[in-house]
Amino acid sequence: MKHSLLSSAAERLYWLGRHTERAENTARLIMVNAGLLMEMPARLALGWRPLIDITGTAKLFDSLYSEATERNVCRFLTCDGRHPASITSAITATRENARTVRETMPRVTFEYINDLHDFAHSELTPNLSRVKRRAALDGLSLRVQRLEGFLSQNMLHDAPWQFLRLGNRIERADMTTRIIDVRTADLLPPGHDLAPFQEIQWRSVLISLFARQSYHATISALVQRPLVLDFLLSNPDLPRSYAYCLQAIRRGVQALPRNAKPLSACNRALRDLQAVNVGKLKGASLHRFIDNCQTRLGELHAAMRETWFRGG
Amino acid sequence: MGKVTIDWKQYDATASWDELVTPAGRARSGAGSLLRVLSRLTDDELTERQAAAELAIRSMGITFTVYSGEDATGIDRAWPFDIVPRLIRKREWDQISRGLTQRVRALNAFIDDVYHHQRALRDGVVPTRYVRHSKEFRQRCVGIAPPHGVWAHVCGTDLVRDSEGALYVLEDNLRVPSGVSYMLENRAVMKRVFPELFDDYVIHPVDDYPQRLAACLRSLAPWSQGSPRVVVLTPGIHNSAYFEHAYLASVMGADLVEGADLMVGKDDRVYMKTITGRVRVDVIYRRIDDLFLDPSVFNPSSVLGAPGLMRAWQAGKVALANAPGCGVADDKVIYTFVPDLVRYYLSEEPILANVPSYRCVEKESRDYVLDNLDKLVVKPANESGGYGMLMGPKASLKERNAFARAVRANPRNYMAQPMLNLSSAPTLVGPPGSGQRMQPRHLDLRPFILSGAETYVTMGGLTRVAMRKGSMVVNSSQGGGSKDTWVVDLDP
Repeated sequence: MKHSLLSSAAERLYWLGRHTERAENTARLIMVNAGLLMEMPARLALGWRPLIDITGTAKLFDSLYSEATERNVCRFLTCDGRHPASITSAITATRENARTVRETMPRVTFEYINDLHDFAHSELTPNLSRVKRRAALDGLSLRVQRLEGFLSQNMLHDAPWQFLRLGNRIERADMTTRIIDVRTADLLPPGHDLAPFQEIQWRSVLISLFARQSYHATISALVQRPLVLDFLLSNPDLPRSYAYCLQAIRRGVQALPRNAKPLSACNRALRDLQAVNVGKLKGASLHRFIDNCQTRLGELHAAMRETWFRGG
Repeated sequence: MGKVTIDWKQYDATASWDELVTPAGRARSGAGSLLRVLSRLTDDELTERQAAAELAIRSMGITFTVYSGEDATGIDRAWPFDIVPRLIRKREWDQISRGLTQRVRALNAFIDDVYHHQRALRDGVVPTRYVRHSKEFRQRCVGIAPPHGVWAHVCGTDLVRDSEGALYVLEDNLRVPSGVSYMLENRAVMKRVFPELFDDYVIHPVDDYPQRLAACLRSLAPWSQGSPRVVVLTPGIHNSAYFEHAYLASVMGADLVEGADLMVGKDDRVYMKTITGRVRVDVIYRRIDDLFLDPSVFNPSSVLGAPGLMRAWQAGKVALANAPGCGVADDKVIYTFVPDLVRYYLSEEPILANVPSYRCVEKESRDYVLDNLDKLVVKPANESGGYGMLMGPKASLKERNAFARAVRANPRNYMAQPMLNLSSAPTLVGPPGSGQRMQPRHLDLRPFILSGAETYVTMGGLTRVAMRKGSMVVNSSQGGGSKDTWVVDLDP
């Protein structure tokens, strides 16, 4: 492994990994929410606000828009240049980062990133019809996956690749916990007359994380809260589960030099996860647990920054 | 109209010396099969090929950055490219290549002399005042002995032809010449969009340049043991040549660094900050100007370089390419002496000619220049990129008067040359879709010369073309385009 990767390049690769993952996660959040709303009774009024909560962007959103309508939320999340984590902003940042580290990646990668960039900026426009929006988000997701697949199959799995993956996994772990936090807080109290729809909502949580089919393949029971929670947080084989992401991060950290601090931050997060029976977490205790996950991910990021990104 | 093909008889090659077509509308020697292939294509097909080239350029991310007034960040633009290649016969190129090598040897001998014994100044070959008053002379470089006695490791020399087809050196770019990546990419684009053109010709490849550059840079390393670490130092993503910096680093397998990635230790060695800690750097291919290299010595507000870099270089702990101070020979007034320098240092007759030039500091020449401003091009000594020049025949009286005042106030800073009618080549022009036409456009050629332990000249170079009718300004920052340049074997 080329152990002399520039600190600045390592940081840019890490953010490149985070931004592409963020763009794709956001695309899927919107697609899944649209699907969910079609099946849910109107009086549950889930609407589009949860996406703002999941992405943790309420303050900015409320300063730019008066109401969380479908049009406003989708515009904000897909193509609002004022929102630094909108899909187009994240893809622009991806391209900027790729330009500064393009010598560390296979050359053709840059063509994929350019294509992704041009696609996002030409297809994701305000006020798309639902059909066109769906096609654009699908196209975006496809392009991100082509990029990641290509990198995974063709790039040297040395330090630059590890940083890309670390950015990827940390963003994914972050998104998984955020989705669980917001979607579980919405749920109906037991015995409510709309309780049958609760299953749809849990199903949508699974779909949000591309985990519905895997769930049924793994668990021979109906979709129900403790099993879903356990599956999404602790399953070691599900690529978007919190546990899987942490293990992948741990392997990546171990492959890098001078890894003591990031490794111990990673181990702390894993120990906290193993110490609880996540299926039994409810209400405030679940929320506290998720908060703790977010804190641990923040510590991990800080340890990486201190160890690898500052240099010297 | 879609069926229309090029009629070379309609192509007017009489206004300048055309590289491919004779004034009678026939193909020049060697250009026959190229023109035949082009003639077989309809207008629509030509437009399609041009569009395919532009698409390839966009998707390959071949860009350059233009600065727009107050917007300091600049805009990333697709590289302008014309699908008709420019041909040079191998036999002619070999002669040009020898001339370039000779010229760069003399230039390096001159720079080394300026910073040591100043023989040429004492012998009166170049008057001392020209060097003493050069903006690019660096007192700090006096007495430094870079490896192999070479200061200008990468040189980009601009060549032009006049209306008779005679070849001249227009200028030598010795500081941080750029464009070589576009030479390489133009060939890659051409192979993608016009593969059939390659069937009829033996075209000499250009793509060994990055490895030659890497070898040249490694030959400068202060230590011979182990594999030297080479980095490319860039001002950053907003620089107009950033694409090239990243490209060259990538193909050489070198690290692309900015000033903030580097630090100079108490041991005078240069280190870069990496994920494993500090790593020693042996050779810096710097793509930033001298005055930004080291804020502790030159421009204190510069954030582009690294404090202590000059100290490390002076102590021989790191190699800088090009060496600081080498710009003393990249001065349009010093340029006028290069043929004399070839004779003086090498005892050879110059193979390549200069464009006839007038030094404004000499009274007789100055009087001539001031009397004939409407016929001359007047150039400041140290500008680049085609900026700050007076194109006399095209300028207004007001502009000429302003230049006359500037020349009188600071004659050392100016030289003048007759306005050359640059050679041309067929170029696809006009708005896409509505009948693009093949018309002659003026061009120049920038080959690159590497000097280290050995010397190397690119096979051809970067052909830049002025896309506006009648324009002689080929700079991409001012609306210039480019062409692939083919050095072809026609002589068995």
